[in-house]
Amino acid sequence: MNQLRAELLKIRSTRTTVGLLLGLITLALLFTILTCTLSPGSQLFTEQDQISLLSFGSIAGVFSALAGVMLFTSEYRFGTIRPTSLFNPNRTRLFATKISAGVLSGLVFGVIGEGLVFSIGLMILKIRGVSILMSGANMTELLVGAIIGTALWGAIGVALGAVVPNQVGAVIALLAWGFVVENLVFGFLPKIGRFLPVHAADAMMGNVQVKLLPGNVGTLVVVGWAVVLSLVGVVLLKRRDVN
Amino acid sequence: MPFVVQSDSLSKRYGEVLAVDDLTFAIEAGTITGFLGPNGAGKSTTLRMLLGLAKPTSGSATVFGSPYDQLETPALRIGAVLEATDFHPGRSGRDHLRMLSRAVGLPDARVDEVLSLVELQDAAKRRVKGYSLGMRQRLGLAAALLGNPDLLVLDEPANGLDPEGVRWLRDFLRDFASGGRTVLISSHVLAEIAQTVDQVLIINHGRLVVESTLDELTARVGAAVRVQSPKLDELADALKREGIVITRSNDHALLAQGTTREHVGDIALAAGVAIYELVSESSSLEEIFLDLTSEETSS
Repeated sequence: MNQLRAELLKIRSTRTTVGLLLGLITLALLFTILTCTLSPGSQLFTEQDQISLLSFGSIAGVFSALAGVMLFTSEYRFGTIRPTSLFNPNRTRLFATKISAGVLSGLVFGVIGEGLVFSIGLMILKIRGVSILMSGANMTELLVGAIIGTALWGAIGVALGAVVPNQVGAVIALLAWGFVVENLVFGFLPKIGRFLPVHAADAMMGNVQVKLLPGNVGTLVVVGWAVVLSLVGVVLLKRRDVN
Repeated sequence: MPFVVQSDSLSKRYGEVLAVDDLTFAIEAGTITGFLGPNGAGKSTTLRMLLGLAKPTSGSATVFGSPYDQLETPALRIGAVLEATDFHPGRSGRDHLRMLSRAVGLPDARVDEVLSLVELQDAAKRRVKGYSLGMRQRLGLAAALLGNPDLLVLDEPANGLDPEGVRWLRDFLRDFASGGRTVLISSHVLAEIAQTVDQVLIINHGRLVVESTLDELTARVGAAVRVQSPKLDELADALKREGIVITRSNDHALLAQGTTREHVGDIALAAGVAIYELVSESSSLEEIFLDLTSEETSS
């Protein structure tokens, strides 16, 4: 618990996480306000349209994963991995602590990101007189799925940072995977692509897109990715010398 | 009493390079030990193995009888500074210490204590990127002192310090060790720590060259006589005939090892060679150090 408090202080005591949060808030507000205000009513008539619109908050997963990546890569970049390892020489425990911190910060990103998109999006739609077609169950699935998914992205980010300690390398790998590789695979081979983490996380929010996995399977797949990457990360962390 | 630090046939190989080669030494409590060697000799690698950051290829390194990572909360017994730059530049000095102290359950009050101890309390809330190198060295030291340790391990702590900083560090370490605590301090410049340490471990190419007290080290090479003459070659021959080992110093003088001024003067008189200068000279520690490490290099 002490070590988790230490990790959370690390996150709070630099401007990196605050910067990522501000980036998320700006992007979420900009997208929601512009889309909900400017989209022609015909694009908001179906439940599917509304789910797609309000699931934009899952973009918080990118920010959460970036914050997670920083938890390890910043330590290597600035050399704080040395004092950190001296104060916490058990690498498995260090890894577990960082994963927990990544999940907690991911929850915050998820609540803020999806919370903003959802609340402001619904408000604008109501002001515009668009009738909300989503059922309560769908709304809950979308909200919970987006927030849990974002938290899991925090864990995936931490694990990726342990696998690729070079900060630039890890960030490029994350963004290239999320924005290019997965979309290409899903575009050409959706039956395989839906098992990849971004699309599995999308599935967690309910019926966002056809061709995706069912929500509960999506959750299991994302957890599976987080676990596998974590196992690789912890093995490498234990093997690798701190130089 | 068991040794505080013990290295037993410790070796570390990186690919083709044997960075540390069968290193065996032990350090008793209450001593200040200088861990010396030229850059690249294997000092930092050895310290990292002692502190559980790097795994030995073979052999073992223990602190207080156990490998570092098997001690219960080792940061409360051992304080270490490995680099002067191990800080997030955007984090304040105080927050850097707070995050470390929290990890081992120490209160924030301890953070303020160590900040005062290293005289950084006024800069505590500033971001580290605004710190001078000397301030960063002190912040590193403050982190090492958080757990009120019995052993302090410092890797090149005087690097980049101005003379005032070096003196501050020396006084601080003397103070620290006066209470029976132990210090292991590495350096590539013997002069930097000669006034601080009780004993030295000198390594070169990963191997132990010397393990002794400073006094023994000085006595081992002994005194020399420095002599200048217009006929250096003749004088050198005469000294050699008497079995005296000589070396030529850079400024066209001879250094006669293990002898006295009187003896050299008598030999010069007998050889009919004029003498312009005749001075007893203790070999500086730095010369001894350079001799020991260069001998090793050439062997």
